[in-house]
Amino acid sequence: MKETIKNTTMADRLLFLFLILASIAGIFISRDALSQGSDVSIEIDGKPAYTLPLYTDRLLSIDGPYGPILIEIQGKRVRVKESHCPNQLCVREGWISKGVIVCLPNKLVIIVGSGKKDRQRGIDAITG
Amino acid sequence: MGHYKLFLSLLLFLCLLIGSCSPHQPSSYKKSKALLDTFVTITVTADSQDTADIAIENSFDVIERFGNLVNFFSDESELSAINRNAGIRAVRVSPETLDVMEKALFVSEKSGGAFDPTIGPEIKLWDFLNKTKPSDAEIKKNLPLVNYKNIIIDRGKSTVFLKKKNMLLDLGGIAKGYAADLAVQALKQKGISAGLVAVAGDIKAFGLKPDKKPWVVGIKNPRQKSNDDELIARIQLSGKAISTSGDYERYFIMDGRRFHHLLTPQTGYPASACRSVSVISDEGAIADGFSTALFILGPEKGLELAKKMGMDAMIINDKGAIHTTPGLEGKLTIERNH
Repeated sequence: MKETIKNTTMADRLLFLFLILASIAGIFISRDALSQGSDVSIEIDGKPAYTLPLYTDRLLSIDGPYGPILIEIQGKRVRVKESHCPNQLCVREGWISKGVIVCLPNKLVIIVGSGKKDRQRGIDAITG
Repeated sequence: MGHYKLFLSLLLFLCLLIGSCSPHQPSSYKKSKALLDTFVTITVTADSQDTADIAIENSFDVIERFGNLVNFFSDESELSAINRNAGIRAVRVSPETLDVMEKALFVSEKSGGAFDPTIGPEIKLWDFLNKTKPSDAEIKKNLPLVNYKNIIIDRGKSTVFLKKKNMLLDLGGIAKGYAADLAVQALKQKGISAGLVAVAGDIKAFGLKPDKKPWVVGIKNPRQKSNDDELIARIQLSGKAISTSGDYERYFIMDGRRFHHLLTPQTGYPASACRSVSVISDEGAIADGFSTALFILGPEKGLELAKKMGMDAMIINDKGAIHTTPGLEGKLTIERNH
């Protein structure tokens, strides 16, 4: 073993290092490609507040300017179950399994999926 | 000797790799924010993150200011002031509100009332979440309040007046497209030469991406088989806006019939000849307004109007058949599974 290492040149060692780095990069690239919208990200006032798995059913209560906001994750979908905001647009949005629910009065954004899949598909935006 | 060659090749490769990461190469920068009761994403091509951040934040501010003017749910908005004073008096408004109102009237006139921003009294009768359909009598009662010809705009005095009491303006069919126009204008003023503004599904693009290719916008399949944002087509876009109206966003099915939010202004009932309509135009407000108008008109009259107005459109009819204007040739790709 020692003999083998001794017989390598600087170029061999650099090549070896390069291959190791390429393998590590490959792990990150494939991990990036495989995660597709399996998380629910909740932002409050423009700042990330929670990241939760979409596949675990749960109820989450968040304090908002109009009182508690009840967020429900069930069957790989998420919704705002209860909110005391004036326009109730977030509640009316109902269940989503991909995309965004916005509640401007509560400064709350719920995001399912990250757009990674769109980038893989070569899409810059989606209409409809 | 062979090892030296390998070493030099590797060194050259690493130099190229480092060179390609030079900070002066234009790149894409993207930011999102909750505005106009939806999610706004702005992507720009810029030389640095700082340049991109300043321009994008400025555009967000522009959209926010406009959103405050036309917020249907805020008592403070100019839109609410116009609605409150329906049948009472003209309301003085800011240039943006006046401008979006004029564009709304333009679409109403050109579409023969298929698009009508005074649809508010009918829209408010429907509750799509709780699957509540208003009675025929309720729908009929509010119909006289729906008529864009009863909007009086005085450009000189910068006022808007709704002639009948209880009339209700709803700019939901045009405000997002107009906001995309404002944001693009603001990006250009900050020196940005290429970008894409997506106010939910109302999108406007200008310039080319860092790879010198046009922006690519996916069009959602109106009948999704999975929860995966399935696309029916994709289109290349540069210097244009695209908006889509569909029967699949706010809807419920009752007795086998689909009831959705795109109401025919003359009847108060959802239009049923299309599943989705995408319109491509120079202006976001025009694309947004006409996508609703064409949806109401149906495929034949809709395509006819698009051609007459010099716009492009993709219409999916109630059976799922795709109709397009000739101008989309070479720019539109229908996905393989359709």
